[in-house]
Amino acid sequence: MPLTEKKKTAKKTKDNTTRNLTIGMVLFVVVIGVAFSVLSNKTNSHVSIPSAVSATDGYGIVINKDAKVRVDIWEDFQCPNCRNFETVAGNYLNGLARDGKIKAVFHPLTFIGPESILAAAAAACTSDQGKFLDMHTALYNNQPSTENSGAWTNIKLKLLAITAGDTSKSTQSCIDSGKYTNWTNNVAADGAKKNVNATPTVFINGVQLNQAHYLNLPALQADLAAAGVK
Amino acid sequence: MKNFKAVQPWLTLAGRILLGVVLILAGYLKAKSPDQAQMAVRAYELLPISLANFFGLALPWCEMGAGLLLVVGLSVRYAAIFGGLLMLLFVGAISQAWARGLSIDCGCFGGGGQVAAGHTKYLQEILRDLGLTLTAVFLYRYPQGKLGFERESAPTQGDAVD
Repeated sequence: MPLTEKKKTAKKTKDNTTRNLTIGMVLFVVVIGVAFSVLSNKTNSHVSIPSAVSATDGYGIVINKDAKVRVDIWEDFQCPNCRNFETVAGNYLNGLARDGKIKAVFHPLTFIGPESILAAAAAACTSDQGKFLDMHTALYNNQPSTENSGAWTNIKLKLLAITAGDTSKSTQSCIDSGKYTNWTNNVAADGAKKNVNATPTVFINGVQLNQAHYLNLPALQADLAAAGVK
Repeated sequence: MKNFKAVQPWLTLAGRILLGVVLILAGYLKAKSPDQAQMAVRAYELLPISLANFFGLALPWCEMGAGLLLVVGLSVRYAAIFGGLLMLLFVGAISQAWARGLSIDCGCFGGGGQVAAGHTKYLQEILRDLGLTLTAVFLYRYPQGKLGFERESAPTQGDAVD
């Protein structure tokens, strides 16, 4: 075999090794990435959860756990449609929850991004002081017009909690420390299991609200009356 | 055909970069918001929920992997087959959503899930993915191009060797 041929073969083997190694590395990174995504999106039963939250209620924030009619609200504090829903139905639903007429279960989803996580975690902090409904209203009243624009920081959310009537020190430190940040992941994982594909999504006693009734208060009231709300 | 022989390696390079960059970008945007990627897959109403959720988490990494191989020019054929089949899968999934009257965003570059009726972009999405499928077919037929990692030990173009 002439020398040049030999050299060529050697070069080819070396090329193949580098090539296979690189392909192997890419495949390895893909597998690690998939494993990372699957593990980090799984429900974690060891995270801190607000006192009004239990795994059996899908990690949602529960108000009146013993009321007969159950209303599940899946929302994202940054979602414009959720704000529209709040504008139309917020007062009515809050009234029912305050009067103990419904078991309201709030599931703050965070798919819009980092500021949804901050807002959801802050709202969870206020729920420990019984101020969740007030904070809920305050968040929608102060929803930034653009998503994740830096408008919602922990400093702003702490002020918002105070204006919503929760002046407790523990809420302030709870927001600061991001105590319930990881809890939002459990809410999201539960929403994925329950096939929640849009926000807001409302279930009355487990039945999804008719799409046309979200922004139609009389229709929503009729649905709730039919479900047993007096 | 002499002209084509001169141009083809450049076309292959362009195709690799086009399909590769699209895949990397699409994968990155999806991997960044996994909740939404899962939601996007569920909204097609094709797979059982748990499988759809897994698909939403796994797909972005596979896309990024295939895209990376295409950009550096390694095992271009397999990556092109993967990318091409993926695009056909998307075309099928989007078409069935359209035919069934679902109102969803394809979620191709992040986003996804249900959208208001009348805000769907099915035709554009399908045409774009068909264009990318053709790119993949070209890369399968002519995997050897400029600036490819494999150009030294390249088999003659068109040979059925990876």
